[in-house]
Amino acid sequence: MTEFAALAQLTVVAMVPYLLASLGTMLGGLTGVFSVSQEGVMLLGAAIGFLVSYGTGSTTIGILLAAGTGAVFGAALGWATTVLRLDQFVVGLALFFAATGLAGLLYRIVIGQGATTPRVDTLPRLEIPLLSDVPVLGTALFSHNVLVYLAALLAVAAWFFLYRTRAGLDLRSVGENPKAADSLGIPVVRNRLWTATVGGALMAVAGAYLPLVYTGTYTDSIVGGRGWLAIALTFFGGWRPQFIVLGALFFAAMDVVALRAEVAGIDIPSQVLLVVPYVATLLVMVFAFRWAKVPEFLGRNYDRESRTA
Amino acid sequence: MSAPVLTDTDAPAPATERPAVRLLRGLLPYVLALVLAFAVSGVVIAALGYDVVEAYRTIVTTSFRTGFGFTETLTKWVPLTLLALGFTIPLAVGRFNIGGEGQLLVGATAAAGVGIVYADLPTAVLLPLVVLAGVLSGAVWAGIAAFLMGRFRVNEILSTVLLNFVSFQVLDYAATEVWSDPAAGVAATQRVGEGAELPVLGGPPGVHAGILLALLVAAVTTVVTRRTAAGFELRAAGANPRAAAINGIRVEKVAVVALVVGGALGGLAGALEVGGVHGRAIEGMQSNFLLLGIIIGLIARGSALWVPVVAFGIAILEVGASSMQRTVGVPAEMVLIIEALILIFLLLSDVIAGRLARRVT
Repeated sequence: MTEFAALAQLTVVAMVPYLLASLGTMLGGLTGVFSVSQEGVMLLGAAIGFLVSYGTGSTTIGILLAAGTGAVFGAALGWATTVLRLDQFVVGLALFFAATGLAGLLYRIVIGQGATTPRVDTLPRLEIPLLSDVPVLGTALFSHNVLVYLAALLAVAAWFFLYRTRAGLDLRSVGENPKAADSLGIPVVRNRLWTATVGGALMAVAGAYLPLVYTGTYTDSIVGGRGWLAIALTFFGGWRPQFIVLGALFFAAMDVVALRAEVAGIDIPSQVLLVVPYVATLLVMVFAFRWAKVPEFLGRNYDRESRTA
Repeated sequence: MSAPVLTDTDAPAPATERPAVRLLRGLLPYVLALVLAFAVSGVVIAALGYDVVEAYRTIVTTSFRTGFGFTETLTKWVPLTLLALGFTIPLAVGRFNIGGEGQLLVGATAAAGVGIVYADLPTAVLLPLVVLAGVLSGAVWAGIAAFLMGRFRVNEILSTVLLNFVSFQVLDYAATEVWSDPAAGVAATQRVGEGAELPVLGGPPGVHAGILLALLVAAVTTVVTRRTAAGFELRAAGANPRAAAINGIRVEKVAVVALVVGGALGGLAGALEVGGVHGRAIEGMQSNFLLLGIIIGLIARGSALWVPVVAFGIAILEVGASSMQRTVGVPAEMVLIIEALILIFLLLSDVIAGRLARRVT
């Protein structure tokens, strides 16, 4: 039973980057702004989160600055695709490259090109009084770092906002039918701008989580495809927070299983275990793309003056 | 998601426009983008306390100062051109092949495998086999994504990217379990037989003969996309899928074939890297060719004619980048930012050019 509790705890810890990045993707996507720069923005978030924590000794400042940088990239995507109406995928890829380059550059400038890899302290666990004493569940759910709780709260808040408030309904209508939304006086561009911006911030925090919770160090391959997996997860979760949480749990469980099987020395080539998350995602997408309801205007720009769209 | 991705530069300009004006309007965004990208990066480099003039001089001249630099540039040009074409061919149908890295690695692994297993065969037999193995396995690798896209409507951006991460482990398995070479010092396969190595042209140092294949591929792609029925279907399916479908073009099938062909080019790039550069498959041999290939394809606006030209420019920057890191101390990542900025400013100048054009007419 303690073994199970430990595994469950690991899964919850591993779920956060997927959850945050996917919620960020979802938020922009619900108004029609489809980002493909997750992998880059997460890497940049990881670099900034790490470097600022390293420099200031404060993880909080690191995470906040990472979020701010991600917001800038999200806002750039929003601006280029609404005000300028440039192609979303092309801009997204360009921002992905810029963020990737910037991450490597910043690390090299601050740390240098030597062989030493400095470390920062990882986020401490916050045991919630009483609740963390509950057997199994206490370990699995209530003794985590602060970002785990924040991510969970955020998912609930996102669900409430999108499905239980008027503003949330307005927001979703922008991604379904911007022309209709526009005719009702719902500000299409403003909605797209703020969701893309907040989405970018969430992706960067997801990235900052990796060095500040997992490893304590930064490498150029630290994101390892999680940004792309987050996009898959968003489709898998049908662009709805409640299913994205379940999906993130599934992705995290695969990470943990692959890790555990390797540690346990099961007689399978390690390479087979390492491809499990990616292959499973490919298989899952076969089904996800059938049932998932995608925002009607996902990835498409809105032109108020156009008569065809 | 099906609108044409890039502005069509081949579209005939208004008849009243003089050729000189047309040329200017075509070139102006590029000049603007280049100047702005280098200006912004220059400010950053200066702010970091490095010598901007020296840094840029190194970037631009390294390729031309020595025969070695020029050879290195041409050698880099080969995979860059092939991966960029592998990106632009599916792009013509509005599909994004972000899997060039995986296609290259799987192609390289297969090519190395054939080169090791049949090491004793003579060049005339082995070399074509090695190249063919690369091409086919690249096509199969992209074919997985193409099948998922055609049959199950799985988004090809995601499937091609995820297959990249699988390909790392394919190469790792080959390099550590099947044909491992502990003496190599890095995770790599054994060396291929002599018959699998591409002849070297000119030199020393010289460029491997794969450059001729890459040139041929670029030429064939240009001719096929512009002058044949298949190329017309490709462009029609991308420009207006509905109109194309109504006129009897099977858009989905065209997209699947385009993606597979793109994968084959990635596989070819892998085989040429094995046969011409490394003599084996090495982990990390993909470098950042995937990102660069996409940047090249987008800067060339999907034109097969311009891809080789842009690829040459990017190859110069890349070769200059490592030299700049050594001599001036500016991290090589700076060049990736310059390249991304060129692309971003090119997109922005399109907007400006579009607004100017509207004001004039």
